Amino acid sequence: MTVYWCGSVDDEGVFVPSRGSPAELLARVESLKTNMQVFRPLTADLIEGSGIFPDRATYIRQLREVTILQVQGVIEAAASGKDAELLQMVRMLDQMDEVINLLSERLVEWYQVTNPAFSQKGRQGSVKRVLPKIRRSRSRPLRGMADEVEGLIAARTSLAADVSRLAAQVIPNTSELVGGLVAARIMARAGGLEKLARMPGSSVQVIGAEAALFSHIRGNSPSPKHGIIFQHRRVHNAPREVRGRVARVLAAKLAIAARIDFYRGEADPGFLSSAQALIDGIAGGGSV
Amino acid sequence: MIRIDGQLVSRGSGGVYNERMVKGYRVWDPYRSKFAALCMLDESVDLADAMKVLYLGAANGTTVSHVADYVDCVYAVEFAPRPLRDLLVVAEKRKNIVPIAGDATRPDRYAPFLEEVDLLYQDVAQPDQAGILIKHLPFLKQGVGIDGGMRAILMLKTRSVDVRRTPDEVFAGTIERLEGAGLSILKSCWLEPYHHDHAAIVCGVGER
Repeated sequence: MTVYWCGSVDDEGVFVPSRGSPAELLARVESLKTNMQVFRPLTADLIEGSGIFPDRATYIRQLREVTILQVQGVIEAAASGKDAELLQMVRMLDQMDEVINLLSERLVEWYQVTNPAFSQKGRQGSVKRVLPKIRRSRSRPLRGMADEVEGLIAARTSLAADVSRLAAQVIPNTSELVGGLVAARIMARAGGLEKLARMPGSSVQVIGAEAALFSHIRGNSPSPKHGIIFQHRRVHNAPREVRGRVARVLAAKLAIAARIDFYRGEADPGFLSSAQALIDGIAGGGSV
Repeated sequence: MIRIDGQLVSRGSGGVYNERMVKGYRVWDPYRSKFAALCMLDESVDLADAMKVLYLGAANGTTVSHVADYVDCVYAVEFAPRPLRDLLVVAEKRKNIVPIAGDATRPDRYAPFLEEVDLLYQDVAQPDQAGILIKHLPFLKQGVGIDGGMRAILMLKTRSVDVRRTPDEVFAGTIERLEGAGLSILKSCWLEPYHHDHAAIVCGVGER
């Protein structure tokens, strides 16, 4: 028997229509297991011979009612995941960083013009030090812009706190291992919690280091040891000799943590304490 | 295909993606659409009124909308939720597009929605593009087809197949696999200067 959205053809070749609302027809198709080895698609003759569609336009119209429902379902499912908003927040945060950096550089250049006595040396590389000075500048337009950037920085700080807070709820295990911000960034880069949960630890380890990874696959360079994971203190503070090892073990535990987060959705204290102990042991020079 | 002053166009109501209009026709930009690029490089490629098309990798539905202007109906399969949203909007206006959410590597999940088609068009960013095309051959109508041979068009994204091999190696390997599956290659070419590292492979089906 071959089953189609609008009916089925039994072993004698007789078409048996299925009736129902578009939602019922869709639910039926979604419950099907089609074997492609023996599947034969619907034909114009079958559709006409079924007797349920007066003409082709009706056939297409009714089929569309079902598939459009199917597409809407997929779109809604993708948007309703708990991780969807976290993902947008992380991307917003990263873009705000870019914007703030660009605008700050411009402010400093501008300030140098209005205040020729200002020296590059006083800048000390940090916008935070110069910004208060700029906000006391004689130029009113410059002061105005500096206030806006200051506002952006404040908004960025509060968004970062919101990201950490939401990450602790949505991805409690991954957040516990590397902190909410880094966990959320890794999740965003993977493309969502489900994608991260399906990733092997080795992919989690180099997520965010794609350029280095592909250069390595082409055979031009050594493999990257860490991607976004490097932003976590236990990786970047680890002694050089064990940094790669820490990154590998941490990534492997993160992969497990992501699966617990996705499939169970709550913190697992037993897993977390054993994972933390293992990672700290290696960061301190132990071996695995 | 309809051409006006050397530009490829399609007949239909415009405003799908801010495309230019010429004399009431929608301009089909070869730099945006790989199908249009293929038509510019090969004048023999044609779409007939009566055709039913299975389109894998429908994306935002821009190319789909042009194809739908030419043919009887298009079964448009797309995997990612984001572009599906745009595809739905396009399908609202064009009643001969049947949008389907599905992963082209798993045709069994959406096979019950499909019918036999005259042309299989595939533009997906997946590693096993030849394998996906072969999996969908059962959906092709028996016989040589409406326009005398062309049954499947594969837009090969060589960068999605394997970054370790050069585009030329991927291209050659793909053609080998398609021929091994009983397809005849009617035409194969790179889509330069319109698209880089993308090739078009036009296939016919032997007697089945």
